[in-house]
This record gives sequence, C-alpha cells and structure tokens, in this order.
Amino acid sequence: MTTSTQKSWRFSSRRMGDILSHAYIWLCLLIFVAPFLALFNYSLQKGATGVYTLSNYGYIFGSFIDNLLTSLRVSALAIGLNLLITLPAAYALVRFEFPAKRVILSALTLPLYTPAPVLGIGLVLAYNFTYRLTNSIWGLVFAMVVGTFPLMLIPIVVAMKDLPLVFEEAAQCLGATRLQTYFRIVLPLIGPGISAGILLSFIIVFNEYLVTLFVAAPSVTTAPLRVFNLVRTAGIQNTTAALAAFMQIVSFTAVILFFRIFGSRYLKGTYLI
Amino acid sequence: MAQDVAGAITTNVADTALVERRWQVKPVLLLLPSILMTVLFLFYPLAFIILMSFTEKGSFLSLAGPTYTWQNYADMIGRYAPNVGVTIQLAGLATLVDLIFGFPFAYILVRKVRYRDIVRGFMVFPMFGALYIAFGLRFILLPGGWLTPVFDALGLQGVQFLYGLPSVVFAMAIFTFPFMVMNVGAALSNVDPVLEEASVCLGAKPWQTFWRVILPLTRSGLIAGMLMCFGWNVGAFAEPLLLGTLNEQRTLAWTLYQRGVVQLDYGLATTMGVVLMILAFTVNYASLRYSRGGLV
Repeated sequence: MTTSTQKSWRFSSRRMGDILSHAYIWLCLLIFVAPFLALFNYSLQKGATGVYTLSNYGYIFGSFIDNLLTSLRVSALAIGLNLLITLPAAYALVRFEFPAKRVILSALTLPLYTPAPVLGIGLVLAYNFTYRLTNSIWGLVFAMVVGTFPLMLIPIVVAMKDLPLVFEEAAQCLGATRLQTYFRIVLPLIGPGISAGILLSFIIVFNEYLVTLFVAAPSVTTAPLRVFNLVRTAGIQNTTAALAAFMQIVSFTAVILFFRIFGSRYLKGTYLI
Repeated sequence: MAQDVAGAITTNVADTALVERRWQVKPVLLLLPSILMTVLFLFYPLAFIILMSFTEKGSFLSLAGPTYTWQNYADMIGRYAPNVGVTIQLAGLATLVDLIFGFPFAYILVRKVRYRDIVRGFMVFPMFGALYIAFGLRFILLPGGWLTPVFDALGLQGVQFLYGLPSVVFAMAIFTFPFMVMNVGAALSNVDPVLEEASVCLGAKPWQTFWRVILPLTRSGLIAGMLMCFGWNVGAFAEPLLLGTLNEQRTLAWTLYQRGVVQLDYGLATTMGVVLMILAFTVNYASLRYSRGGLV
C-alpha cells in the first residue's frame, strides 16, 4: 500500500478512534469508582476542612466494631449454611438424571430475580406470624441463605460439569466408596468453583442492607444497615463515610485476592462478572 | 456461561450420570435441604404476601380475623397509580441510559480492549450496593463537591442536580451497568468480526455497519440486557431515597416499606409487593427467554 497520499499514522482517524475508545472505557470506569473515591476522600477529613487525618477510621474499632463483627458473623453463618445445602444439590443436579430437573433448577434460582423489598416484606410477615424468628440472628441468616443460594449454586454446577467423569470412575474402580470419592477427589478438584461461590456470597451478604432493613432484629445491626440508618438520621458525616469506604475496601480486596489466586474464569455465567 | 449451566443439566445420561434409572432416591435426598430451604423461606413468604394482599389494612392482626377485600388492588389502580408510574418511569429511564452508554462500552471491551481483567476488577464496584453509589454520588454533587467547578463553568446550579430525577436515574444506571455490559458483551462475542469487516469492505460507512449488521445480530442480547436492568431497577430503594425529591420517593419499594413496616398497613404493603413481584418476574422471565436459553 502506498503511503505517499496517506496522512501519517499518528494522526489518522483510525488511531484517533482507538484513543477515543480507550478514553471512553476509562471514563466509564472512573464513573464507577467515583462514588467510592468521593466517600474515601471525605472519610479522611475532619468536618468540611481540608485537613487530612485518619482519625475517623478509629471509629471503626470503636463504636462500629459491633456492627462489623455482626456482619462477619452473619456472613460466616450464611456462607457455611449455604455450602452445606449447595454441595449436595450441585452433585445431584449434575451427576444424576431425573425428570423435572429444569423446573427444579428454575425454582431454586428464583430468589435471584425476586426484588429485595418483596423478599423483605414476605419474610417479615412470615417471621412475625408463623416462624417466630424475629429476635434471633437466624432470621437474617436464613434470609441471606435463600437469597444467595443461586449465586453459590451456579459456579459449583459449572465447575462440576467441567470435571470429567473419568476421575470418579477411576477412583471407584480402584476401590473407593462413593463418599471417599466425593471427599478426596471431587471436592478438591472443584475447589476454585466453590471459592467463586463463596466470594460472590460474601460480597452480597457483607454489603446487604435492604433485606436486613426489613428483617433484622433490633439487636442485629449489620454494618451496611448502620450506614443506612446513620445517613438517614445524622446526614452526611465523616465517620459514616469511613465505615462505608472501609466496607468497600474489604469487598474489593476480597475480589482482587480471588482474581489473583484463581483467575476470572470461574465466575463466568453468574451474571455478576 | 449460562449456556454451560443449561448444558450441564441436559447433557446425555451417558456423559455425566452414574446410574440409568428414572427416579432415584439419592438425588431427591441430596436436593431436599435446598428445596426445603427455598420452599420455607421463599415460596411460603411469597404465598403469604399474595394472601395478605387481599386483607384489609392490619386486619390480619385483629381479633376477629382478617377481612378480605379487593380494596387494596382498587387503591393501587387509583390512589397509588402515580407510585407505580414513577417506579416504571425511573427504571425505564435508567435502562435507557444503560443501553446508550453500555452498548459502546461492551463493544469496545469485546473488540478492542486487551486488559479485560482490570476492567472486570473495576466493574465490581457498582455491585457492592446501590447504597454506596447513592451516598457517594450525593457527596460528589453537593456544593463544594468535585463537580462544582464543572457546574460553575457551565453556569448551572449544582443543587438542582443533587436532588432530582437526573441523579436518581444516574445512580440506578450505574448500579445495573454491569448487567447490560455482560449481556451485550456475550451477544457481541458471538458475532464473528469477519462480518463487520466484510461489511466495511463492501463499502458500508460505520453507522451503516452498526445499524444493518451489528444491531440485528445482537438484538437478543440487547433485549435480554434491557429486561434484566429493568427487572433489577424496579426494586430500587436507596437511590430514590437519598437522591430524590418527594416525587421520586414515591417509588414502590420505599412506599412499601413505609406502609408495611412503619405504618403496619400490611394489606397495602403486600399488594405493592405483589405488583413488584409481577413486574419483576415477567420481565426477568422474558429476559431469560431472549438470552438463548439462560438457566432454564
């Protein structure tokens, strides 16, 4: 191709197009992160002055520590219970054939598509009138479990489907029982899928404020709920911003760690990554 | 991908199943905890809501037992129609914004960008919760916030953006942006770049290529993305509350909370819940049909 009648590549429309495209991507990414950065910026100040200080983060270990511990407790309980019921379900769905499998799967993933206020008001009514769970942490835990169950199920199902049947057959040929095969062969091999499920559930449960608002007992105030209450009562405070920024930092760190260790391919199909 | 999951469920018996019988005890036993959990904590509350929506206010609590009435639904069509209207309007606008800005983003991401993992890392931020988005956006738009120089340069009053429809829609759009990008990106990655190149070779201008080649091929992904964004946005709670005027605060989610939990008018709250449920389920069901099989 002759270059004598062409403009130099540096300023060609093609290069401009490329630069604009990348600039657009970074602009959008900046918009995503901007709320967090604004909160972070504000949390480092005292009042509206320009003085930067870390004193607001001291509150995290002071009056907010209860809320953070409650959040962590709820997350741990919810994830543990979730694992307990998801692992058998995933195994049944992938390794067995039975009629109505699709119907059952769509019924099980329904919570993902239920708006949070609907779930909240339904559980409030159920807890008040039937289950009598209003004053314990388990009410909140069960709500979280049913809400994040699909998010835990999908990565594990995808991981199990990618695991060739050969390994289990070989183990059984070599004399292992079903249970031994499961715990010593299958579970370690789908470890990354399980970790993906745990990560997603953790992020959702740790930052969940909407269902918590409806369902939680007064003694169970998780950190995001505390942020919400403070914003509504005390307005915009540095300390609230510190708590919100801290929670986002924790969640983001968890995601980055996961990407570093496992890569991003185990989160495909979950519609969250 | 979602197709993988569907494939996992429907591949040949010989491939992934261990025993070849019709109904067996083991899978039912293994599935029992999850089914039990879902029935107890999802289906029963939903049924409860539907039942309650026919009772009158707090009559469920009264000693005489509940009085059943259609009045709640009449109220929804009459007195609370603006609430439903605002909810649909906000969600629709947010979906539109997502579409306009999300499609180019997805296109550039799929076709031109090599550093996709970094982009994915940044894209998790909106998912942490709409609360932080709304909260942070409030900071940015405050007088003295970051955008004040921009507003001064344009001669606008920053405050009119702070509490109003644009900021609420913007916050909602940020929250569901990743969903749109995921759906459109999946559809785009199924389109062979060769087709676009061929269209350019045959003399089409870029907008013609877009309108006549790319758009028809990605239509199902677009529709799936739009429906998914809409379905998630009808339940918006924090953004209208923190960033909206009284008009936006009439969204169904917030009204539901006020009537139900604060004023204990269970009849009306559950009716709103039923309306939300119908909106969200139909939209999400339709979106699954369009996303080539999805999970069902």
